[in-house]
Amino acid sequence: MSVGNQNVTAERLTNDEILRYSRHLVMPEVGMEGQQRLKAARVLCVGTGGLGSPVALYLAAAGVGTLGLMDFDVVDYTNLQRQIIHTTNDVGRPKVESAAEKIAAINPLVNVRKFEARLSSANALEIFREFDIVADGTDNFATRYLVNDACVLTGKPNVYASIFRFEGQASVFAAADGPCYRCLYPEPPPPGLVPSCAEGGVLGILPGLLGLIQATEVIKLILGSGEPLVGRLLLVDAMAMRFRELRLRKSAECPVCGLNPTVTELIDYDEFCGVRGEEAPAAAAVPEIQPEELKRRLEAGEDIFVLDVREPHEYQVCNLGGYLIPVGQLAERVGELDASREIVAHCKGGVRSAKAVEFLRGVGFTKVASLAGGIQAWSDKVDPTVPKY
Amino acid sequence: MIRVVLPPNLRSLARVNGEVQIDVAGQVTQRAVLDALEDRYPVLRGTIRDHVTQRRRPFVRFFACEQDLSHEPPDTALPHRVVEGDEPFLIVGAIAGG
Repeated sequence: MSVGNQNVTAERLTNDEILRYSRHLVMPEVGMEGQQRLKAARVLCVGTGGLGSPVALYLAAAGVGTLGLMDFDVVDYTNLQRQIIHTTNDVGRPKVESAAEKIAAINPLVNVRKFEARLSSANALEIFREFDIVADGTDNFATRYLVNDACVLTGKPNVYASIFRFEGQASVFAAADGPCYRCLYPEPPPPGLVPSCAEGGVLGILPGLLGLIQATEVIKLILGSGEPLVGRLLLVDAMAMRFRELRLRKSAECPVCGLNPTVTELIDYDEFCGVRGEEAPAAAAVPEIQPEELKRRLEAGEDIFVLDVREPHEYQVCNLGGYLIPVGQLAERVGELDASREIVAHCKGGVRSAKAVEFLRGVGFTKVASLAGGIQAWSDKVDPTVPKY
Repeated sequence: MIRVVLPPNLRSLARVNGEVQIDVAGQVTQRAVLDALEDRYPVLRGTIRDHVTQRRRPFVRFFACEQDLSHEPPDTALPHRVVEGDEPFLIVGAIAGG
């Protein structure tokens, strides 16, 4: 299987290119024809973050002729631990600009196409049609399903990887006759069951490992060489340094690539993943207190019990001196709390504390509130000496 | 002993590290393994199988010996190597980080 422009004679290599790619050219598995295929190929990197960084860097170095970079975000200080295409000086800049600059430095022969926009149902098909292969480096379920469905509908292979904490998954979805992401996971988990990397953390090296697997698969698809990860799911456990390979089958019942597809056009993926449902109750259903208000009342000497519902290792990073009960232990340790006192629960960003308040109200606590925005908002609005993480 | 590998978010939920080893009485089937797992870690109820229907939830899959067992009937015997403890029963869940 080879993906992309099969008529590569127009993509003759210059002498500079022959020198640059000489380590490829001496291998018969790549050779002149393979390098010309790479030059003719058009690959879209959706996301230029943890996964997208190594994918884009290596594909550019390898001589992929056209690289699309799509990202709506700007470089954040917390990105630098793993998103190696961006540097400290890039903080605050659009990721697409930062990434394009590095690619130009590594290989000015690459035609970089910048899409500084959020991938959406409105733009995905039009953009995907301009590329041969899509590398999914996104970071949420809604966009994962959007990328998958758009790949199936446009007939583009979806070179996939995802990461969480110390583990990753990789595959090639939506290739001819291969399963798609929905064959594997027809529906997303409910909001909150699988934390994001921002909530659960991720080993900085892990997207490098998985991103390079993606880049390798992209190159193999272009060359039409080797055994692509079609119909196979690779599980990577960085802590055990164990790689497991699982066989996948195309599902006849798949709603997008099955025999009788029900998804024949792009849908509302936020709604599909329940994202809106996740945000509304957490914010609206529980009472909140703003950081400035809590500070004022604490300084006034009011009797407020500050309850920290984060994990002990987060408490070590920074704390407000609150009483620590991780939200997962609240049900069994609720007896440690005094329902007659006013309680303000906080976490990192306000989601877990909202759940904690919801639980406490459910078991009879009446004077409970969640610190809006958590300790991050406290750092932003009240005390910048409290470190953000 | 049956070895079970949980996805990372469910390991956090159950407060376990690495593989889980569980005793299963009688024939070793998906249902028997999941029943024993949920007996030992009640917090996992509803996360792998639906609370009401007891069917596998669509964002997790079951594998053993590289093969996808997700669509096997729940009372089908698991592979011999899983029963013998040579291979784990893998519960694989969707993750989305990038």
